[in-house]
Amino acid sequence: MATARPGWSRRAQYGLFFSFLAVIAGIIIGLILLAMSLVAPQTFQTVRGAALDITAPVSGALHAVTETTEGVFTGAGNYWDAARQNAELKRQNKAMLQRMVEARAIFQENQQLKATLQLREHERSTIAVGRVVGSSFNSPRRFAILSAGSNDGVAVGMPVRSPEGLVGRIIDVGRLASRVLLVSDRANIVPARLLRNGIPVIAQGRGDGTIDVRPLEVGRNPFRRGDIIVSSGTGGLYPPGVPVARVLKLQGDDAIALPLADPAQISFAIVEPPFEPAAMAALPAATEGP
Amino acid sequence: MVRAALTPPRRIGQGPWPLAIYVPAVTVVAASFLAALPIISTSGWYPDFGYLVFISWRLLRADPWPAWWAAPLGFVNDLFTGYPVGFSIALWSATMLVLDLIDRRTLWRDYWIEWVVAAVLIAIDEWLQWRVAETAAGPLPFTAVVPPLVISICVFPAFAWVVSRIDAWRLGR
Repeated sequence: MATARPGWSRRAQYGLFFSFLAVIAGIIIGLILLAMSLVAPQTFQTVRGAALDITAPVSGALHAVTETTEGVFTGAGNYWDAARQNAELKRQNKAMLQRMVEARAIFQENQQLKATLQLREHERSTIAVGRVVGSSFNSPRRFAILSAGSNDGVAVGMPVRSPEGLVGRIIDVGRLASRVLLVSDRANIVPARLLRNGIPVIAQGRGDGTIDVRPLEVGRNPFRRGDIIVSSGTGGLYPPGVPVARVLKLQGDDAIALPLADPAQISFAIVEPPFEPAAMAALPAATEGP
Repeated sequence: MVRAALTPPRRIGQGPWPLAIYVPAVTVVAASFLAALPIISTSGWYPDFGYLVFISWRLLRADPWPAWWAAPLGFVNDLFTGYPVGFSIALWSATMLVLDLIDRRTLWRDYWIEWVVAAVLIAIDEWLQWRVAETAAGPLPFTAVVPPLVISICVFPAFAWVVSRIDAWRLGR
């Protein structure tokens, strides 16, 4: 498709014509594939997984390099600041010990209460542990790349958490890596509750790194700045009691919250089986956007 | 223009690199592969590197690659960046077609016109991404994609400059 006028050569004219046809065919094929990946996101599971296996090791290696570089600098900084940090840590340690004793007492009390209520809890197990090595940094969707794949037992739909809080759930799996739909993505809706008073809420990502939280019951805004949102376990996909977000500001009946597990900060993410195994089977395909 | 440039060198030791015709496509794939950078962003404001390099080449040369290569190049971009498969295939093929039509209409070009054309193409890219994200994930305010749009338009000249340097290198100029 180089020049507008290929001259009198029949061959050149045909060449131009066929290249036009090829481009139009490319557009049509692209649109068909796009429609397929929007309607049935699992269609390209294999090929997307394979692409993840190509990119994720590179991301992982580069991630290790940047982490080491950062580590050297923060390490040097820590060395300069050692005396002050030591005092600070000693003070924190003392405070922590007190809190730990309190927590142990609460835990025992909790066990007793649960025993009286005869609550059955599923044994929480870990499927795999991986590092967050990349993200969808040039798209309005919020995905992260996790360095654990089907070789480690990861499957689509499994919840991902970190010690800090809920990260998201798996939507694409390769052999070595998987793609996580972060809680800050629009398509990720987490049934949750307010930690302070147990009011049930719905947490939905806003696509810009924050989360929109709204109460299930219409009426007075139940949120306060600094409130912690924890998952409620409703729906059976996410385990209950995992911290999700902290409320930043109120907005009408809703609140804007910041995820507690910042994918840029967490060092490890833990893949867990779905809380209720039945939720895996019932997981609607439509919510799994590519 | 390229055909003239691909002819044997007039001076010894100067001339196109043996694989010069594949260099543009390889740089586009390399730019798509930048999606593997360990950048963990919660805002998604980074430019679509593959598309920027793609339109930089196409604006610099009328035939950096056979027109139908746009589809496989777009497929590679979709896989590396995690866009829904088919998005870049359709968009990049359509870009080849639109730029050909523009080439027939325009009588002269300069840097400013190229930047405006690129800005319009980038805007279409971001708008389509926004539409697709909305279809797949629910309503999203358009203001969310304005910062990446502005950033992409601002960094385009840098990509165009790098591509023009690579072009000079591959042709041994």
